[in-house]
Amino acid sequence: MNHAQKAEIFNKDEAKVNWHDKALWYVREKRDTAAHGVKGWEHLRDLASGIKAHVLSNLDEYLITFEKNAQKNGITVHWASNAEEHNKIVNKILADNNAKKVVKSKSMLTEECHLNPYLESKGIEVVDTDLGEYIVQIAKETPSHIVLPAIHKTKEEVDSLFQEHLGTTPSNGNPEYLTHEARKHLRAKFLEADAAITGVNFAIAETGGFVVCTNEGNADMGAHSAKIHIACMGMEKLIPKEAHLGIFLRLLARSATGQPITTYSSHFNKPGPESQMHIVIVDNGRTEQLSREDFRSSLHCIRCGACMNTCPIYRRSGGHSYDATIPGPIGSILSPGKDLTKHSSLPFASTLCGSCSNVCPVKINIHEQLYKWRQLITKDVKQPFIKKTILKMTGKVLSNPKLYGFGGRSVRFILKYAPRFLVYSKLNAWGKARELPKIKNGNFDQWYKEKRKN
Amino acid sequence: MGKEEILRSVRKNKPTLIPLPEINLDTFNETIDLLANFKEKVALVGGTIKELSALNEIDREITKLFPNARNIVDCTKSSSLGTVSISDKTQPQDLEGVDLAIIPGAFGVAENGAIWISDDRFPIRILPFITKELLIVLEKKNVCLHLHDAYELLSKRDRSFGVFVSGPSKTADIEQCLVIGAQGALSLTVVLV
Ligand code: SF4
Repeated sequence: MNHAQKAEIFNKDEAKVNWHDKALWYVREKRDTAAHGVKGWEHLRDLASGIKAHVLSNLDEYLITFEKNAQKNGITVHWASNAEEHNKIVNKILADNNAKKVVKSKSMLTEECHLNPYLESKGIEVVDTDLGEYIVQIAKETPSHIVLPAIHKTKEEVDSLFQEHLGTTPSNGNPEYLTHEARKHLRAKFLEADAAITGVNFAIAETGGFVVCTNEGNADMGAHSAKIHIACMGMEKLIPKEAHLGIFLRLLARSATGQPITTYSSHFNKPGPESQMHIVIVDNGRTEQLSREDFRSSLHCIRCGACMNTCPIYRRSGGHSYDATIPGPIGSILSPGKDLTKHSSLPFASTLCGSCSNVCPVKINIHEQLYKWRQLITKDVKQPFIKKTILKMTGKVLSNPKLYGFGGRSVRFILKYAPRFLVYSKLNAWGKARELPKIKNGNFDQWYKEKRKN
Repeated sequence: MGKEEILRSVRKNKPTLIPLPEINLDTFNETIDLLANFKEKVALVGGTIKELSALNEIDREITKLFPNARNIVDCTKSSSLGTVSISDKTQPQDLEGVDLAIIPGAFGVAENGAIWISDDRFPIRILPFITKELLIVLEKKNVCLHLHDAYELLSKRDRSFGVFVSGPSKTADIEQCLVIGAQGALSLTVVLV
């Protein structure tokens, strides 16, 4: 199934979709308020983007420096070319230490590598300890959002999942009660864990240390309970100096949820007494993305999720419709680079409105890259006529700077001038479900302007 | 495994060197009341502020705030209420029942209400997370403007484990309803002296 077909399924539950849409837009608004409160916000974004671009252009040196400094501090560094190597390395560390019980905090990389099923097949128990990830784990699903993994679940659904798995009493989905029940359960898991796996938000070449950010405290509860801490990182997580954290940490949480900083920003430099600390550096397609000039900057991503919260398609199609580890606008750039055939519909899951690029804290030109993928895909993969026509129009707008600049957003142009069948064609499942329900007085333009004000 | 192959691939695929951008810290400079801003941000992130005129008032304040706390770990040596003593031999499991941990904060950050604490001041790393309630003692004069200043203050430290704590642990993973008290401490009180 392609994105549009999956989106259609998600759109069957109108009330849920509306809630999803609004909830994410609310997060986007909180992001705006937080960003506007920072003097020099745009300078921060420029710097973050510039630092990431610099790192990528010198990545080999930074990787070597990082490894050397980490080793000096007693951290063991491992290198994995792909997901399989990554999983094997993690399993070997666990096996060498006879570790059977693992607690894991949020790490999109381990999702990308499908680490959980691999370890489970080796007889290891893995418990996801971020509440949202715990919910999707017991539901046997995958996260639908990189920051809000269970955003697609209603509280009633969580209630019945917890009744089944934790033996809770029915509470009509009382979030406080459910959260505290999960806390009790997870606390026991932390304290009996043999090893903890965490992600890495930033790794610092200069010091060989790394930073993990959470609101729940689950990464720390795991990493400081167990004697073995394995931190898995994509190679693009490196930054040159610790002082650069000042820039990235100011951007990350504000962009993600509108908080001024996450509750915990934990700086790991040395293993604790009688403990081991391991870092697994993973490529898994990243050096290939590095070679693609047009898509290289997608490696700047700090996984804040802002592009998802703001995306009109994501909000109305849900993360699972992308059928990729990283959904939303950034996922639609990253995924085709990994498997073009499987993910060829993703770059079309966008109105090219540019809202993603506007909010991205590291200034990735997301919508332009989506458009570039479309060009490549239409060359490579046979497209139905209708999609080609839309593409042509989109192309026209984007290739004419005047038009683009004037309209501000190509989508406005398309929605305004494209015949109805073009906009609400098969490939726009989200459009179909929306069948212009909110146009007052039959004036589309007015409706659109009103929407833009909100 | 992998290392040489990865480095080779990076070298083949990376673009020509792009210089590291210049950071102009003046852009972020503001003349604001640091303490007032800090207090506002701590409240925003769900923490509670208590201002004391002298450190010796701390016991009275703690008894008032946490009348039911039995197992108390004090790492500041400013309270006499500590009931649990810990050392680097203490195991995480031994701390499961800690009601309150009192930890000295190095400095606070006005822009986000975060406080830096590090494991040179608490002998076991899990303490500020596993405790039910966390109380950080901070000197009023030790508040800096933003994270850039914070990392300047941190640049000379002995690096082991340290964390910026901004409020109590929290989650909004169930239908975006904010719940205070996730896996870490259920509350954060900042005592300013
Ligand atoms: S692409 Fe930008 S906005 Fe999207 S998750 Fe990554 S950093 Fe955030």
